[in-house]
Amino acid sequence: MNLPHVSAVFRKELRETLRDRRTLTVMFLFPLVVYPLVSLLMAEVMAGKQATDEARTSHVALVDPDPASRATLAALLDKKGNGIEVTRDVSLAQATGLDVSNGLIDAVVEVAPEKTAAKAKAAGPLPVRIVYDETRPISDQAHDRVTKALDSVLPNGCFQSYAVTGASLATKTKVGGYVLSKILPLIVVIMTMLGAFYPAIDITAGERERGTLETLLSSPVQRFDLMTGKVLAVAALSLLTGVLNIVSMSLTVAEGARLAAGSPILAIPWPRAAATLLIVVPAAFLFGSVMVAIGAMARSFKEAQTLLMPVYLLCFTPSLVAGMADFRLTGLTMLVPGTNLTLLARDLMLGEAHLLATVIVMASTIGFGAVALAFAARLYDSERLLSSTDADLVSLSAWLRHLVSRPAAPGSPEATGAPPVPPSAGQAVALFGVAFVLWFFAFTWLQRWNLIPGLMISQWVGFLGLVWVYARLCRRPLGDVLVFRRPAPLALAGAACVGLSGWIILGILADKVMPPPREVVENIRNLIHPPGGSRSLALSVFALAVTPAICEEALFRGAILQGLRRQFSLPVSCLLTGILFGVMHGDVWRFVPTTILGVLLSWVALTSGSIIPSMLVHVLNNGVLIVLGYYGLDQAGDNLSGRASVLILGAAVIFMLGGLAAIRRAGRQTPAATGA
Amino acid sequence: MPDPSAVTVERLKKRFGQRTAVDGLSFSVAAGEIYGLLGPNGAGKTTTLRVLAGLLRPTEGVARIDGVDVGSDPRQAQRHLGFLTGTTGLYGRLTAREVLVYFGTLQDMPRPRIAARIDELTAVLDLRAILDRRCEALSSGQKQRISVARAVIHDPPVLILDEPTVGLDVLASRFLREYIGAERARGKAVIFSTHYLAEAELLCDRIGLLYQGALLAEGRPRDLRAQAGDATSLEEAFLRLVTDLVAA
Repeated sequence: MNLPHVSAVFRKELRETLRDRRTLTVMFLFPLVVYPLVSLLMAEVMAGKQATDEARTSHVALVDPDPASRATLAALLDKKGNGIEVTRDVSLAQATGLDVSNGLIDAVVEVAPEKTAAKAKAAGPLPVRIVYDETRPISDQAHDRVTKALDSVLPNGCFQSYAVTGASLATKTKVGGYVLSKILPLIVVIMTMLGAFYPAIDITAGERERGTLETLLSSPVQRFDLMTGKVLAVAALSLLTGVLNIVSMSLTVAEGARLAAGSPILAIPWPRAAATLLIVVPAAFLFGSVMVAIGAMARSFKEAQTLLMPVYLLCFTPSLVAGMADFRLTGLTMLVPGTNLTLLARDLMLGEAHLLATVIVMASTIGFGAVALAFAARLYDSERLLSSTDADLVSLSAWLRHLVSRPAAPGSPEATGAPPVPPSAGQAVALFGVAFVLWFFAFTWLQRWNLIPGLMISQWVGFLGLVWVYARLCRRPLGDVLVFRRPAPLALAGAACVGLSGWIILGILADKVMPPPREVVENIRNLIHPPGGSRSLALSVFALAVTPAICEEALFRGAILQGLRRQFSLPVSCLLTGILFGVMHGDVWRFVPTTILGVLLSWVALTSGSIIPSMLVHVLNNGVLIVLGYYGLDQAGDNLSGRASVLILGAAVIFMLGGLAAIRRAGRQTPAATGA
Repeated sequence: MPDPSAVTVERLKKRFGQRTAVDGLSFSVAAGEIYGLLGPNGAGKTTTLRVLAGLLRPTEGVARIDGVDVGSDPRQAQRHLGFLTGTTGLYGRLTAREVLVYFGTLQDMPRPRIAARIDELTAVLDLRAILDRRCEALSSGQKQRISVARAVIHDPPVLILDEPTVGLDVLASRFLREYIGAERARGKAVIFSTHYLAEAELLCDRIGLLYQGALLAEGRPRDLRAQAGDATSLEEAFLRLVTDLVAA
């Protein structure tokens, strides 16, 4: 073996790969951000589902002609901790399976008179029959709870007191639909996505790599028409994959069940399976559009694969969450791409789909697909495709700088040592990626070890330190990166109003849009104000209000927002920064309010032309909550009447609007405001 | 008299970021004329031709194809031109005929017209044996003949050819040159870019020598040789002119 040759090849390949910013980002940074994010999301959702399931009470009807036996059974079932409530509704005293099917009751616990008599003679366990519907999770849970409660009752002689049998009302077809509803939606969505994967790469990056792109773009065809044709081709192939999967999966389940049981234990509801095909059309269009848009960014087949794998995973996650968490298809869920399709497919298979929900899911999915298509058409611009080139990256230091900044063109101010160029959107995203990786792999661990010191290190050394390193690498003063300027007094007054009112509006919004489980709320309360009052108010305010107001603002409203503003409009920059801010808080339940707070803070920073007002909003928003928690007033709102709540909300909205108007007015008088 | 308005380029500039690829270029090509755009690598030839083909937007200046402003209406301009490069790719999994039908359709040609045009081109470019074969199975010369047919399927008045003979053998190159000459005779305006100066001398009516994005000299081949002090070849003329420019 010629080691110098091996070494030369090794070094050359490594150098070449490391100079490709996109490959590098996807190869290292993206997995470090996306996979933790996905696992975090899954864990949060599953924990939430488990908490909700456990908190839910099973309502059962007890039908027992013997009053003494009935009283004993009712007492057993009603025992605290069982999660069962025996209904006292007299109309359900003789409940039947029909009441279970109609959803009036979760299960019926029956003790037949002849069984009571038989038990008296034989002195054996009392036969109890649970009538339930195994295809309804609530009813199935009631069956499990009743079984568990009665099985655990042992008399002195350690013989079981009750012989429990279950009688499911579900027909074979219903069971077939139920089994399919558990596996088919997720598989269909995933396979439809997979069906779009390679065709999307082939017709975009493949076209570019094979040299046919220039030929095609010299034809007088509108870019939107071109991309529509391409997306429809990909969607058609994807649709075919989805349909084949539905048919094959249905047959496989039916046949598999027959082989396992020796006789058919379930039947496939073919009309419902056919109805499920409905989701494949918008799914194929959406995934086709998204993948074509991503493929259009890539310069080669290999790069498209590298870019699409994380996107595939991201698209796959909402469906997986929907499949596992068993959400209801209502409210915002109907608008979450992937999740809504999976849930609609489930409901169609169970025969429980509603027309309005079906229309909303289909329309929103097609809408998202159309947005992705428009984006793809914008990307497929010959100017971009034929003139993009990578920078002259030679040395390791240049490469390191390249990671966080745009490459310096020969003769540019950067290359000649003149003042550096302003920040870019690429830098902002890269900075967020690095911060997220640090947060997930180091800071959360630090905070679990010891909250207050961990938080201090994460924020001051982590976030603020990162911004400092970024400023050094870009050769820009820290104050410039942070937009640390003296704001107008009116902007500060407005920020004070926004900070003092924002928490009320956001708190109510969080409760309305996505109410968090009780455990999550308790955890946050304990975090703000530990039980036993072991932390002083001053320390809590400094650690949980002042520190994030400075460090998080430096990162998000300083470096990230300013970078995004270079490329995007004011609303889009605020929205993107808000989303990144929401993601960094790593809590599904707080995502919506945190994102809105992030958007608000971004708007304040850009409109006022300084980071100081957004810091003030942040410190007041957190600070008020901490002070209320400290004095035990944070739950006072729960006891307010509806009218009082409306009045407080109205006052908060007026206060906030006034604050925003003041900031806007102050911003108009400040030349540097609104960024860009 | 040739029509002077087939291709017009006026003070054309094209910048990529801070780099200027084309810097105030002006020239025109008449119908029935072959105009050679020559210059070293990085002189701005390909960028100029891509602007003319509607693939890149001009930063400044105007480029017109058959009277249509490429900058403001590139799609309309593309109906009046055929664009071909030495690296033009074909769809390997389609047959040659399918490729021609596809591009004819993108030019909004009716199916009977496409079929008739394919018949014409089959005769002119000797495509009969290869028309129904997949493009991936064709030789370089055969692929280039199909590419030429693809570029002229809509019979445009202007042909833009960026180094069309790259990678071709002597016979294939000569075939292509003869075809270009025949198109000139049919009244087409041809812009031809090449590295092979001898080829340009043989084919072009007029030549523009491009250097660092601007025209260094322009004229008939023999005039350019004279301008460079009676150089014996176009190559020698080019080298002398560049040397004089650098020295100045």
